[in-house]
Amino acid sequence: MIEPSLALYGETFEKVEQHLEELLAATGVRYCLLVDRKGFVLSHKEALWAPRPPALDSVATLVAGNAAATGALANMLGESTFSEQIHQGEKGVLYVESVGDSALLTLIFDSSVPLGRVKVYAKKTITAITGLLKTLQDVPAVSFDQSFSVSASALLDDLLG
Amino acid sequence: MSTINFAAREINCKIVYYGPGMSGKTTNLKHVFTKVPTHLRGEMISLATEDERTLFFDFLPLDLGSVQGFKTRFHLYTVPGQVFYNASRKLILRGVDGIVFVADSAPNRLRANAESMRNLRENLLEHGLDIKTIPMILQINKRDLEGALPVEMIRAVIDPKGELLITEASAHEGRGVFETLKAVSKMVLERLSQPT
Ligand SMILES: Nc1nc2c(ncn2[C@@H]2O[C@H](COP(=O)(O)OP(=O)(O)OP(=O)(O)O)[C@@H](O)[C@H]2O)c(=O)[nH]1
Ligand SMILES: [Mg+2]
Repeated sequence: MIEPSLALYGETFEKVEQHLEELLAATGVRYCLLVDRKGFVLSHKEALWAPRPPALDSVATLVAGNAAATGALANMLGESTFSEQIHQGEKGVLYVESVGDSALLTLIFDSSVPLGRVKVYAKKTITAITGLLKTLQDVPAVSFDQSFSVSASALLDDLLG
Repeated sequence: MSTINFAAREINCKIVYYGPGMSGKTTNLKHVFTKVPTHLRGEMISLATEDERTLFFDFLPLDLGSVQGFKTRFHLYTVPGQVFYNASRKLILRGVDGIVFVADSAPNRLRANAESMRNLRENLLEHGLDIKTIPMILQINKRDLEGALPVEMIRAVIDPKGELLITEASAHEGRGVFETLKAVSKMVLERLSQPT
């Protein structure tokens, strides 16, 4: 866990993207994010007609923080987890569901989109993505050599003075 | 439109500012937010009470550009320092890659510094992490205070073995803030090229 989480976007992530794309098409949701538990966006898709999304970094952080807090509450109440979170506003809905232990599927959509339909498709997507993320865990970690350290250090000196 | 380049590879690091209540954690982040070039940072989020005490966390994303083809992103967080917010403090430590311990130089906060360090050690253990294995900087803040305790006296209660790298700061004037951030970032990135 102390290792910086390294997201390697290869073939696996193209597949993840494809699943998110299909989910968008099938349900009519506006934005669809895969967020890791640390609050980083792993993947993001939006409907072609969707307006510019809010700051995704912020969305991801708050969703992960919220999920962590909800999880802690669940434990205190003797539950292993409260699986999904639905926040319903006047105009839109925020729907968050766990993807295994490592990620969260986050969907943002208009109130006119039927929730039941979203749930059904979200479950399918989650099953598919959970499998893909498992294969990602078996990918050997990338190793960096000393020259990486030197470049990183130079960049930081440059940016942060 | 913000899209992610799926051919790219990314390094994401989470840095947490820890320490007793009112030691200046939020002040550190605010200073970075105001002074770092705008293209490097995103929005800052503060989940705080009405009197500006941190309730859950502060958050500031930094995009540092590429290192050898890896897009390097840092997420900076602060925890709420007040003792009774421990449940939230623990959550923020999840997945931490580096820590800045912000200590307060005021004489009447010496004990609070020590207790916060003990609390950090305990909370990390609950995540299965040994404090010795995590890149950490000890920032001695509020050096400008009249009657500020000597650095070595503060170190003696927080880091008696003298293992941590120390920076001195007056965060509300911005002094030492970037020096601290740079030091912890370097430690975290250096960790990547050290086989464990
Ligand atoms: N004199 C002095 N005051 C400081 C310094 N840094 C921060 N402060 C002040 O200390 C007070 C508390 O600072 P915060 O940054 O909110 O403290 P915090 O650690 O985030 O506190 P919590 O959120 O309760 O954990 C504010 O009034 C700051 O202006 C410093 O270097 N010197
Ligand atoms: Mg604060």
